Amino acid sequence: MKTLRGVAITVVALFFSLPIVWMFAAAFKTNVQVTDPSVGLIFEPTLDNFRAVLADERILPSMVNSLIVGVTSTVLSAIIAVPAAWAVGRFRMHRAGSLVLVARIVPAISLLVPWYYLFAQAGLVGSYTVLILSHMFVSVPLILWIMIGFFEGLPIELEEAARVDGLSAFGAFRRIALPLAAPGTATASVLAFVASWNNFMFALILSDEHTMTVPVALFSFISYAGTDWGGLMAASTVMTIPVVAVAVLAQKHLVAGLTAGATKG
Amino acid sequence: MANRHLKWLMLSPALLFVGAMIIFPLLFTLNLSATDAFGAVNAGADHIGLRNFADAFGDHRRFWPAVWRTIGFTVSAVLLETIFGLALAMLMRRAFRGIRWVRTILIIPLLATPVAIGILWLLILDPTTGIANHLLGALGVPPQEFLGSVRASLPTLVLIDVWQWTPMMTLLLLAGLSTLSEEPEEAASMDGANAWQRFRYVVLPMLGPTLTTALVLRAVDGLKTFDIIYATKGAGGGSSFEAETLNVYAYGLTFDYQEYGLAAAVLVLFTLFIIGVVLVLRRRSARSAA
Amino acid sequence: MAAVERVMSRRLFGGLAAGVAGGVVLGGCSSGAPSASTPLRVAAVNHVWTRAVRERLGEFEERVRRRVSMSLLTGDQLSSSYNVKLNASATDIDVMMVRPLQEQLLFAHNNWLADLSDRVQEPAFGWADFQAPPREASTTGGRVLSVPVVTERPVLYYRKDLVPTPPKTLAELKSAAERLTDRNSGRFGYVGRGQRSGAVTQWSSFLYSYGGDFTTDGRSAIATPEAIAAYEYYGELLGRSGPPGATNMSLEQAMPIFAQGKAAFYIDADAIYTGLVDPKVSAVGKTIGYAPFPTGPAGSKPYNIPSWSLGINRFSKLQDDAWEFIRWAAGVQLVTALQTAGIPGARASVWANPAAAAGFPPELAAAMQVNARNGVGHDRPEVLQVGRARDIVGRPLVSAVLQEQVAPVARDADAEFNDFLVRDNRHRES
Repeated sequence: MKTLRGVAITVVALFFSLPIVWMFAAAFKTNVQVTDPSVGLIFEPTLDNFRAVLADERILPSMVNSLIVGVTSTVLSAIIAVPAAWAVGRFRMHRAGSLVLVARIVPAISLLVPWYYLFAQAGLVGSYTVLILSHMFVSVPLILWIMIGFFEGLPIELEEAARVDGLSAFGAFRRIALPLAAPGTATASVLAFVASWNNFMFALILSDEHTMTVPVALFSFISYAGTDWGGLMAASTVMTIPVVAVAVLAQKHLVAGLTAGATKG
Repeated sequence: MANRHLKWLMLSPALLFVGAMIIFPLLFTLNLSATDAFGAVNAGADHIGLRNFADAFGDHRRFWPAVWRTIGFTVSAVLLETIFGLALAMLMRRAFRGIRWVRTILIIPLLATPVAIGILWLLILDPTTGIANHLLGALGVPPQEFLGSVRASLPTLVLIDVWQWTPMMTLLLLAGLSTLSEEPEEAASMDGANAWQRFRYVVLPMLGPTLTTALVLRAVDGLKTFDIIYATKGAGGGSSFEAETLNVYAYGLTFDYQEYGLAAAVLVLFTLFIIGVVLVLRRRSARSAA
Repeated sequence: MAAVERVMSRRLFGGLAAGVAGGVVLGGCSSGAPSASTPLRVAAVNHVWTRAVRERLGEFEERVRRRVSMSLLTGDQLSSSYNVKLNASATDIDVMMVRPLQEQLLFAHNNWLADLSDRVQEPAFGWADFQAPPREASTTGGRVLSVPVVTERPVLYYRKDLVPTPPKTLAELKSAAERLTDRNSGRFGYVGRGQRSGAVTQWSSFLYSYGGDFTTDGRSAIATPEAIAAYEYYGELLGRSGPPGATNMSLEQAMPIFAQGKAAFYIDADAIYTGLVDPKVSAVGKTIGYAPFPTGPAGSKPYNIPSWSLGINRFSKLQDDAWEFIRWAAGVQLVTALQTAGIPGARASVWANPAAAAGFPPELAAAMQVNARNGVGHDRPEVLQVGRARDIVGRPLVSAVLQEQVAPVARDADAEFNDFLVRDNRHRES
């Protein structure tokens, strides 16, 4: 029974990790080797692909752009979504809260043309502002959803006691609930950041050459005369490393954050 | 009294932000869906009432197959993810050596960039130059066409979706499991229930609320799946439209055909459909909780 | 996990947010009337042409005293971004790289492209030096809306180590491909595009060489005996001698299969040969041979088309500088330099210049000359909604590759195509 469980877990771990391992391996192969299946995981590695990534005038700047857009949109989203989540969780405003969650339902395609139209009228196109706003549209509902669960999980007695001691309702949020929810806020922020880091469709349409984010820049390696698979895999590896680092460092918290919304929401 | 103001004050920035971002696109799309706009959205289109909706409902070549594909894809992917996710959560419920590593491995697929993942699977599953057939060949399995065949494309995409999102399901369910008290299970065990019976009649009902939230989440994202399908099958979802879901169809109508009026109508129907699915799932869960 | 909390500390977030907010304000101020610091924005496809031009941008920037910002996207992405941006009358694109046969009619219909008719007539530019078919494709409704910069013809790539002399006719090609196919050892006689929409342009040469065309006198011609024979031929060639999963193959999938040495013949655009001879990408670079498009029942009639042109966004506020860019990028000097580097342009004088052919493998240069002489000026239906037309025309092609009965599907597609043409024509006149 125990060995059976061990075997099952090993098979599962292999199934979920092998594609990523294959991507890392391909990043160290020449293009000829990438499309040759008889070259497995044992080969003479080359760093040429990573040199190409470094030499590409778009990949590194786009990582800076992704960082700027990701951090700003996450911070701003947290600033408006965390208090909202507290209000929804404490005062049972689920109906009003679900209005925000509608943002998760609307297909992105129906937003692109009108958004671009609006932003062009406002003279904002090609700036970080449009990217940040569009990414916040994804992050606000995400953070809200996770944090509602978090606040509902906090014992209300602490806040009530603080109220008895003379704190206002806002004071109870500011001094009691918010510090207690810090781990949750961190998790939700990490997930929102990852969502922004990975976002493709908004970035494709709303960014320009100077504000381009990584998922769009990846396409540098797909040109009219063929695909540079090695370079593509190296760039994918470079852009996945921060995400994997987050996964390794924060796995326990991430799991807690993901699940707070699910068990309580 | 103060609370009344405060709670709205705290919620309103989020509400106003989402409202401000969504109200114009919503009205824009609704208006467009009642016009025959073609080529450009502002090209002097005429209002034609509900004809776009009638056209969509009468279209058995693209629209209805896309509806059934969207449903088929989502139902099979979410079903498999629930079953595997549940099984995996039960496997990982008790700690074992290396659980940290397994958990980390499980997180990566759901954090990785969909665009890169789509391209990666294209490379792995290429019938001629990919590693998948090479490995299958070593096991004595004949080569598969995967995304290259009309019949296998959608199931292959379901497989990719299962790879990417089963971990999410597992993690959600693991958290749900960790909050359950063990007493009912122990009691059932004393009454002579075997492992399956304990799972089926004790654990599963208690997991109900978690399962519903997870289902709603996955169903919404599943219905809207785009990046992976577009990256692996291109516009139109393949040569025989074999992977064309509603989202892919709406994208093609907008960007490949420039049929803005019809595209808007399809998007309106698609949005209503998703809202309907969410409401049905929520109502069912409310009833089962009561 | 503690590390994440540290990283997420309030101070770091605050600092970054403040810094970024500054950037946002600055970024937001960049629109309005153009100043000397406003860059000239060129929206371009990721193509060897674009990369070569970008390396030479310095000389142009010095001349106009303006920075040039060039974006590189894939063809589909470029098309989508035009559709979003120009729908909002965007001014943040000046020069537009367009596919004259794919997008120009529609963009002209939408009135998105500036009229270049007067500009191209300036004597120093030499509009008459451009080959006639690309010049025609650049002219819509009597107005010149773009200037061709890259041209393409199909070429028969073959493996010299497997095929001593290349086939001269389509019939020979098919039998040689069948002979060389050995599925057990993973070698295929032929590889080519089979994806519904992507394959249509490559199939066009087969169609013409069988004596057919997409339309005749504005009516569908895809169920004529010639067209059906061309569908069937292509289906047998790719279906019997091609790799599995052929109907999912566009350029991106077909090319690596030939580059891996898994196929004996491959017909695709001549503009991609650099990818096949590059030893980093291709295992067969040294053994590749090049031949003109084989002869069919109606002769050898390959497409010879302008694949990419430059136009000016009608909403651009830098139209004069944008024209300067086109004049430079499509001028004799740069076209000669690029063609010498292996990128075929559209100027007759450069094609006639033996020095400019030196960049190509001699056999390829010869094949290109032959193909250009026999060429037909389009490789897809000439309609507004090209994407939709390609989907319709490609349907029987997919059936053929899947070894299904072609004639009934072609008749069904023919009816659909006729309805489509009526509607497309109505749009065109409105």
